[in-house]
Amino acid sequence: MHDVWVAGADMTRIGRLSEPLADLMAVAAHAALRAADRERPDAIVVATMNPEEFVGDGNFASNVATHMGFADVPVLRVETATSSGAAALYAGFAQVASGLAHTVVVVGGEKMTHLPTPKVSELIGRSIDPYERSYGTTMPAFAALVTRALMSRHGVGEREIAQVAVKNHANGARNPLAHFRSEVTMDVVLESRMVADPLRLYHCCPISDGAAAVVLTSDRTTVRVAGIGQGTDALALRHRESLTSFRATQAAAAAAFGMAGFGPERVDVAEIHDAFAPFELISLEDIGLFPPGKAGSATLDGETALDGRLPINPSGGLKARGHPLAATGLAQIVECVWQLNGSVPRRQVSCSVALAQSIGGPGTNNWVTLLEAR
Amino acid sequence: MIERLAASRCPECGLVAAPAARWCPRHPIEMARTSVPGAGEVLSFTTLHSPPEGFRSPLHIALVELAGGARFICHGAETVGLRIGSWVAIEAVGNVYYFSHLGTLDRVRLFWSRAGHAGERMSAIARSLAKRAWKGRIRAER
Repeated sequence: MHDVWVAGADMTRIGRLSEPLADLMAVAAHAALRAADRERPDAIVVATMNPEEFVGDGNFASNVATHMGFADVPVLRVETATSSGAAALYAGFAQVASGLAHTVVVVGGEKMTHLPTPKVSELIGRSIDPYERSYGTTMPAFAALVTRALMSRHGVGEREIAQVAVKNHANGARNPLAHFRSEVTMDVVLESRMVADPLRLYHCCPISDGAAAVVLTSDRTTVRVAGIGQGTDALALRHRESLTSFRATQAAAAAAFGMAGFGPERVDVAEIHDAFAPFELISLEDIGLFPPGKAGSATLDGETALDGRLPINPSGGLKARGHPLAATGLAQIVECVWQLNGSVPRRQVSCSVALAQSIGGPGTNNWVTLLEAR
Repeated sequence: MIERLAASRCPECGLVAAPAARWCPRHPIEMARTSVPGAGEVLSFTTLHSPPEGFRSPLHIALVELAGGARFICHGAETVGLRIGSWVAIEAVGNVYYFSHLGTLDRVRLFWSRAGHAGERMSAIARSLAKRAWKGRIRAER
C-alpha cells in the first residue's frame, strides 16, 4: 500500500449561499487544486447526499466533473448519508493507496437552504429506518431519544451539553468561513426554543450550503493520511445494543488507530460530528479521547476549548461552521490540514496529529480519519 | 386488554424484531414469526415541536422495550408524567401504534400470562403493584 498524502485542501464559505451546487463544488475543487499546485487530477471523487431531491439534478459525478472542466477525467460519486464526504475521502484514499491513481481530487457539497425547514427535515430523515420514519422520527427526534437516555441513565447534565454549543460558537466566531460567527452564552442556549425535548434550537446544527475539497497524492507532502476507518450499525434505532453510544464510531476509531499504529493519546486536535451538541460528548468517549463519563465535565472545565488540553472543533464544528451534509466530512479534513500546516489565523492550535470523525445518518455509517504532520 | 403484536425472532441470537422483519439485522438468517405482548418499559421518549412534513406538532414519540424483548417505536397522546422506566401499554389505532399508561388490571394480566409457576406469578404481581405504587407517586405530582 502506498502512503497517501494531502497535497492541498480548501473550501467555500458555509451558510446561505446563492451559487448553484455544481458551482460551489467546482470552486472548492479548483481552490484545492491551486493549493496543491496541480493542474489536473487522475481521478475525481464526488460526494453529495441527495442532489436529486435537494436541487433536482442526478448523475452528479459527471455533472460536477463537466462543470469544472474535467469532462474527460474519471469520476464517481460516493454516498453514506451525512458522512458522504468522509466516505469519498476513503474512496480517494483507496485509489491512491492501491496505485490505481496518483493524484485524486475529492470534493463534497450540498445545497439545502432554498427549501423550507420541514421539507429539509423530511429529506434528511429519509436516512432513518422506514418504520421508525413512518412515526415522524426525524434526525432531531432520534437525537432527542439518545439525549434523554444519556441524561437519565448516565447523569449527563444540561450545562455540560450546552457548553458544547457555547464553545463551538466561540470557535466559529474566529472562522471567517463559518455559517455562525457570533458567540452565544450558556443562558441563550438553555433558554432557546425546544425543538425535540430535551434538545433545544442551540443544541442543533443549522441547515447550510457549501462545498469542500481535498487533493490526495502518493507524492510526499507535509501532511500524511495516517489512518482511516469505517464503522457501521443497524439502520433501526430499536435494533441497537446501546442507545447512548455509537458502535459505528467505536469500530471506525479502532480501524483508524489500527491502521495508524498509534492510539488516541497521540491526538492533539479533533473535528467531531456535533450535529447535535450531545453527540460531541458521546463521540469523544466512543473514540477514546476521554474516559467513559468524563467528556461532559472536561468540556465544562474548558479542556476542549481552543486553549484547552485537547481542542475540539476549532472550526466551530457542525454547530457553528455549519453542516452542508456531504461537504461536512471534507470541511473537517480541510480544518485539520490547515491546523497541521500551522496556517490558521486566530484559532491556530499546536498540533502534529489531527482526528476527524463523521457520523452517517442515525449513526449507521461512521468514519474516523487520522492526519499527521510530517 | 393487552394486545399482542406481530414480531419475528432470530433463531441464531434470539433478537426479537417488532414489527416483524424478514432477516435478522445482525445475522443473514430468516427470522421466525412470533408475537409479543403490547406492553413494556419506556427506554426513551421525546416531544417533537418541528415535525417533518405530514405530521402535526407536538408529536410524542417513545422507544419502548416490550415484555417479549423487542424494542418498539410508537406514538403517544401525551408524555406528561412519563419517565424512562415507566411501564406503558401499546395499542393499535388504525394502523398506528400508540402507548398509554398501563392500568393495574393490565399489569396483573401481563404478569399472570408471563409467569410460569404460581409462586413466580404471585411475586411478579406483587412486584408490579409495588412498581405501580411507586410510579403512581410520580404521576400524582402532575
